[in-house]
Amino acid sequence: MKNESKPSILVVDDEEQIRRMLRGVLEEEGYSVRDAESGRIALGEIALNAPDLVILDLGLQDTNGTEVLRALRPICNSPVLILSVLGNEKGKIAALDAGADDYLTKPFSGGELLARLRALLRRAHPPSAPMATYQFGPIQVDLVQRRVLRGGEPVKLTFQEFNVLQMFVMNRDKLLTHQNILKEIWGPQAKDHTEYLRYYVMQLRKKLGDDVNSAAGHFQTETGVGYRFVSKPH
Amino acid sequence: MLSGLQTNASRNRYLGDFTRVVIVITAITLAGWFAPLSYHALGYVYLLAVIALSLNISRWPALAAAVLSGMAWDYFCVPPKLSFAGIHFDEGLLLTTYFAVALIGSQLTALRSAADRAGLLAESERMHQTLLDSVSHEMMTPMAVFRSAIEQLGTPDQGKRLRVIAELEIALNRLDRLVANLLNQNRLESGVLRPLMDWCDIHELIAAARRVVGSRIGDHPLTVEISPDMPIFRADAALLEQAIVQLLVNASVHTPSDSAIRVSAGVSPDSRNVVIIISDNGPGVPEEIRNMVFDKFTRGNNAKKGGLGLGLSIVRGFMQAQGGDVSIASSPEGGAQFTLQLPFEKPSSIPIS
Repeated sequence: MKNESKPSILVVDDEEQIRRMLRGVLEEEGYSVRDAESGRIALGEIALNAPDLVILDLGLQDTNGTEVLRALRPICNSPVLILSVLGNEKGKIAALDAGADDYLTKPFSGGELLARLRALLRRAHPPSAPMATYQFGPIQVDLVQRRVLRGGEPVKLTFQEFNVLQMFVMNRDKLLTHQNILKEIWGPQAKDHTEYLRYYVMQLRKKLGDDVNSAAGHFQTETGVGYRFVSKPH
Repeated sequence: MLSGLQTNASRNRYLGDFTRVVIVITAITLAGWFAPLSYHALGYVYLLAVIALSLNISRWPALAAAVLSGMAWDYFCVPPKLSFAGIHFDEGLLLTTYFAVALIGSQLTALRSAADRAGLLAESERMHQTLLDSVSHEMMTPMAVFRSAIEQLGTPDQGKRLRVIAELEIALNRLDRLVANLLNQNRLESGVLRPLMDWCDIHELIAAARRVVGSRIGDHPLTVEISPDMPIFRADAALLEQAIVQLLVNASVHTPSDSAIRVSAGVSPDSRNVVIIISDNGPGVPEEIRNMVFDKFTRGNNAKKGGLGLGLSIVRGFMQAQGGDVSIASSPEGGAQFTLQLPFEKPSSIPIS
């Protein structure tokens, strides 16, 4: 981050009014905002001066957002938030697999947008070195000793259950696609076996006392896309 | 391209007409050769055939029928047989009648098919207009709210401003839902909908659907009963979630504000289907319109104003796209009960370690 108090955000959207409105919302929050109306201009802006975060519309006129991502990733490591529309699950998944970090479905509220941005920026700039133990409400996870406590009581997790939990903890607050997790835990040949994932998340929820119906649950389902492990659910 | 297709189609129709003409005339000639009828009587049989044919075919095949009939009659029937006899006055009169009948009959056919086309066109135009009227009504209403709200936002009265903002939000949600429904209906009809079948956990789906429904559920108490041994199953999670959302929103809109809504899920006793039931204890759906509620643009007679009648048609489309379906019945309390079902197959064994 070039300026601690003012992270810079590049907004890439071909609708001028959307760019104006986003600029208003973001500047009010103290971000420094640049914008680009096409993928080509965006790549030029990024090459010139990499922003701390990119907001990228998937439905650009000149290039497909996923292509922009592929061209962007070698020159810029900043988190990318995708803006998508209802029903475009395939486009979303393709963009996330191409290196996007999260998505929002239009129309979204300013509050939702700001919450996502804060989480993405927090992840991109961790305050300190990775820790050995993490506390999520009553749950304590010790990654070194591979131990989990729930309200002080030890929770028995199987080897693989712990691996899945560990991946969520290491990527907390980040959206993980089904394929991300399956490839990491079970290898590339298991990338379509979402039944493994459903079973293991079900088990983890049960053992950690995480209520699927409650907004306070840590394991958040992104329908058709993946999971997000929320460190501080509201 | 299009005109080429039309030429092809009309060429095929001509060929079909000519084939019919040849078959009918040949049949009459063969029958007439063996039948004990005078050549005068046979002349009238040919005449009847030309009348019948010309009422069903276009002009050139009809004229061909007239020429063929005349030649066949003269050659095979008028003595001396098997030669073209000289035409006398009465035979000539009959031959002319063939031509006149062929022309009049085929003209009538052309008029009738033009009238049919015009009728179809008018009907489709009328439906188009009705659709356009209701879509524009549904769009203009929230936009009218936007316009008047913007004017009122200048008021110094803080309380009033907050009320206006609440109105803005309602109008926005309405427009949002309308556009989403139109897009979904279009996705279904254009055949671009390719379901992404995936293993799903019903707990997650119902929880996600409740989040999407959010405040639209109002004061309706919602109970969820999922059978304890409910397995994971294959579905397109996004489509199934939208189907559940639509049924939950319908149930909250069409029932009194504090009446209960129930969602239950399980596997059918024969283990062939996953079944998700959404029921309410509102007024229910009258028996006589139950088989229509899933057609697009159908709205209940007592339905509140607003809406295009696309919701349930989209639910059916989404369920059928996944190989399942939706059906309606009376709930035990007399309200509406919608059943979503999907084919069930057991998941393969999961490596547990």
